Amino acid sequence: MAIDLTTEGLEPAEPAAGVAVDRGPRNAVREFDEPVGWRRAGRYALLAAVSVIVLFPMYTTVIAALKPGDEVLDSPLLPTAFTLDVLREAWTSGHLGRYLVNSLVVAVIVTVFQVVTSVLAAYAFAILEFPGKRVLFLLFIATLLVPTEATVVVNFQTVDGLGWTNTFIGLSAPFLATAFGIFLLRQVFMTLPRDLLDAAAIDGVGHVGFLRHVALPLVRPTLGALALFSFLGTWNQYLWPNLVVTEQDMNTVQSGLRLLGKSNIDQPNLVMAGTVIAAVPMAIALFLFQRQLVKGLTAGAVKG
Amino acid sequence: MAMLLPSAVILGVFVVYPLGRAMVLGQQRCDNFGNNCVSNGLDQYVDLFRSIEFQNALGVTIRFALITVPLGVLAGVGLAVLADKYLRTIGGFRTVFSSTVATSVAVASLMWLFLLQPSVGALANMGWFTSIFPSVKDPGWLQDPGTALVAVAISSVWANLGFTFILVTAGLQSIPRDLHEAAAVDGAGGVRRFWSITVPLLGPTLLFVVVVSSTRAFQAYGEIDILTGGGPQPENPTTTIPYFIYGQNSPIRNDVGLQAGAAVLLFLLLLALSGLQLAGIGRRVHYGD
Amino acid sequence: MIARGRFRVLAMLAVGAAVASACGSGRSALQAGLDEPDTIASTAAPSTSESSTVESGPPGEGAPTDSTGSTPDTTPATIAPTTTQSPLADQPGCPTGALDEASGPVEITFWHGMASELETSVIALTDEYNAGQDRVHIDLQNQTSYNSAIDKYIQSSQESRPTLIQFPDYVVQSFAQSGTLIPIEACLEDSGYDTSAFLERTLDAYTFEGIRWAMPFNVSNPVLYYNRQRFEAAGLDPDLSPVSLDDLRATSQAIVDTGAASFGWVVDSGADSGGSWFLEQWLGRSGELYADNGNGRVAPATQVLYDGQPGIDLLTFVQSMINDGLAVSVGGNPGGQDGFLKMIDPASPGAMTIGTSAALGSVIAALGGGIAPGLTEADIGVGPMPGPGDTPGVQVGGGSLWIVADKGDEQTAAAWDFITYLVSAEIQARWASETGYVPVRSDAVDLEPLATTYATDPRFKVPYDQLLTSVEGEASLSPALGPQREVRVATANAVAAIFDGADVATSLSAAAAQSDALIQSYNSRN
Repeated sequence: MAIDLTTEGLEPAEPAAGVAVDRGPRNAVREFDEPVGWRRAGRYALLAAVSVIVLFPMYTTVIAALKPGDEVLDSPLLPTAFTLDVLREAWTSGHLGRYLVNSLVVAVIVTVFQVVTSVLAAYAFAILEFPGKRVLFLLFIATLLVPTEATVVVNFQTVDGLGWTNTFIGLSAPFLATAFGIFLLRQVFMTLPRDLLDAAAIDGVGHVGFLRHVALPLVRPTLGALALFSFLGTWNQYLWPNLVVTEQDMNTVQSGLRLLGKSNIDQPNLVMAGTVIAAVPMAIALFLFQRQLVKGLTAGAVKG
Repeated sequence: MAMLLPSAVILGVFVVYPLGRAMVLGQQRCDNFGNNCVSNGLDQYVDLFRSIEFQNALGVTIRFALITVPLGVLAGVGLAVLADKYLRTIGGFRTVFSSTVATSVAVASLMWLFLLQPSVGALANMGWFTSIFPSVKDPGWLQDPGTALVAVAISSVWANLGFTFILVTAGLQSIPRDLHEAAAVDGAGGVRRFWSITVPLLGPTLLFVVVVSSTRAFQAYGEIDILTGGGPQPENPTTTIPYFIYGQNSPIRNDVGLQAGAAVLLFLLLLALSGLQLAGIGRRVHYGD
Repeated sequence: MIARGRFRVLAMLAVGAAVASACGSGRSALQAGLDEPDTIASTAAPSTSESSTVESGPPGEGAPTDSTGSTPDTTPATIAPTTTQSPLADQPGCPTGALDEASGPVEITFWHGMASELETSVIALTDEYNAGQDRVHIDLQNQTSYNSAIDKYIQSSQESRPTLIQFPDYVVQSFAQSGTLIPIEACLEDSGYDTSAFLERTLDAYTFEGIRWAMPFNVSNPVLYYNRQRFEAAGLDPDLSPVSLDDLRATSQAIVDTGAASFGWVVDSGADSGGSWFLEQWLGRSGELYADNGNGRVAPATQVLYDGQPGIDLLTFVQSMINDGLAVSVGGNPGGQDGFLKMIDPASPGAMTIGTSAALGSVIAALGGGIAPGLTEADIGVGPMPGPGDTPGVQVGGGSLWIVADKGDEQTAAAWDFITYLVSAEIQARWASETGYVPVRSDAVDLEPLATTYATDPRFKVPYDQLLTSVEGEASLSPALGPQREVRVATANAVAAIFDGADVATSLSAAAAQSDALIQSYNSRN
């Protein structure tokens, strides 16, 4: 039976309460929020000064990454030399190309799984009713407090026992679900207006159908935020990949960076070049999706 | 209910089960390979908690959290408020402020390691900086037991700055503008509006940031591994609890039972800490409008 | 309602404070769960002279020390071994001939911990081996560092472990006792391999309870690196480096007095360098024991002996040089480079430092790359490690090759085949020539390219020569302890405190108490 999901009752004309409006500069009330005159200049100055401070470590890193070996020790603040050779060497001798791919694969796997499992669980907690729901939810949230140190050794034994060391599935297995995602999505699912649900119930749409066709499209920004967080978190993992990988080919870019750092202590420019290469993909992702990230987070997530 | 199953299974196998095993292991002493374990009962937990080494690590961890959490929150809020104005290029500044999200623990720590090296580091070789802080060059902030922890904390705060900035910005943007407008119409100045409107309504966000930041501070490992390896000798003032468990120079490196026990103690500490925070701050937080 | 919430928080804080103040037992974590009273001292760092002492007083002294208390001056009795020696027959066997029955190439994994140029050499040697025959294929995996390799080995199941692994010298006892490895002695017997050309001490370095467990591969020992330019500026002969401790002091004095450098001697207190060398190497050179039971070689050690008068005298010597401005400490030196960096520090350089001979290749490369303007690689001199007595002498250090058990006969034989390749005279000659490691056999010295290297650049020969001139005796083998690395961390902390000005005897005895605690904990569990 075809469901018409575009009727006004189902699809709100404006975003539902709790689903954020982007309050970036283009939507701000111009007259109220825009400083003028010397206030404007002052604000610019402050912004610029803080930006310099924030960017300073990255600046020195990039400078060092572009200097050849014999010049790396002079004037760390000035780009006195320029060469791409160091970057090239970090790429090849550090096998960073392969490691970037590994990180990407693992991050994608984990992100997809985390989003899927979180959506399902969050929906259950937000919309469904069942005994012990509150207690179960608290238990799920409590898993966020379990430190990696407590689980890492046993998880390694589990993964080793299954023969998953040095595999993508071994690298991703412990992180395929996360209570953080459940928490985030439950928040936003709970802000969905009740009438949407009732209307769907009247139309005989089951939970799965409702989820797929109505709920998910409405919470897309939050899904995006969760996906970005999952991706970032997995990309930046340090302890687990170091543990579970004994074949160099399967290193993620963070382990590869650690290997590069320890193997080439006498060549700081090489190590810096490695960090630049490792940070670039994330920087690009951030640049492209920063707006979505903020949008997704304002959708009820931080409202408790 | 079946919708819960995937998450439940994964969290069960990879979080709950290991925690359970760790709790059992924590009251055993085993050989270097984790075999031939002897159970000692809950006394072992108490002994471990009260031991000199654990107490030292606990002190370091608390000190570390006391530096990074307030500093991180202040910096994040400060930056978010600074960038919360309508300016044409504000988008660019916001991207800059959130840029540290792109750095992982390894990347950020390596950057700061390079910055702080007494011989070749940028900070250690900037004339005006070293005249204010001579210890950055001799013996070096990471080499001086008095400043090492602060140096690691600064690197950690910097690395988490982007994340905090994004969270607080999101929080700021959920505050309805009309509240501010109405207050302004009534004659309230910027500062007054900040304290009466912004801060209370940022409550949930701030709580979230504080909880996440302090949980992170209690689990600091990678920074210490790369920057100080546990701390300049002999006081080793940067050995946090996670580093006490898994660090290269840890005395319990080959004692699986003690490692598991310390990890469980860390979990209990985090539980208590979050409970305290939720009760203490959470109660004063306003929800909704 | 706010008041109630506030009250609740205060109540919780009060409880927390009460709990916290009841904490701090003053005992060591190693004691946790055990029933005996305070016989184990804490492993917390000894307090330096200025800071206040911990509740229970200096670690170890408050506790009723009994038979395991250290008695500095009496001759250490050989305490009866706590474990009986297991004869070779009880260990896993090594069927070296199994390769002949193999149908195709046997693939085995080799975990190593070599970095930068060293890794390049290992890769080259392995590639050539793989290409030169078709019975064995080696899959090389770099585990970043010795510590990582050790950790991953311990955590993995036997199936996940590689067939061949490179371990450093300090894990001899713990891995010999693990039951997961095949003693190289079994392979030597099975194949009848001729070790007569080997430097006996390199094989002995990996002996525990009479059984040789590993094949020495990359042998290194500490040598003195010095700046020839500064020696010349001080009026010293740049071809002569100090050998005895008096020479060391005199040379440093000359350098400082003439202003050739700010400091004569750069020292460090790292656990893998100065923090362990000053005791292990120097006590060995003086013929003194570091730990009982023949430095742990005859039977598992039960206590350390380095806090006796000889140890105190040695560290007092270094401390006095620092106090007199002749030497300077660069601290923990985690990357191994700080000593060298101090030598090229433009502001306040040092003229010499003790470093591992394994770094010679990297030092030459770095200087050749122009890291220090005005200093070429020819300006660095290398001499034997200075120490007590007038004859150079060192204990063997470096890494070795171990074969993992339960891998199947063909795999074991394959590993043995690769080992025989790596320690063959030709390969050792190449390996030593490229890296600066000491060849494990004397017949490699006359082969190319090593012969030319030794002839044209005698610096590479220094670590080899000083091994040969070392005095033999029960103290000439480096200590083999169960918790060796942790003990080194304890001594490193003590050495760092001493360099900061702490009292030598107190610091050493505190470290000794900690080391004994570690040994006791190890012995009781393993």
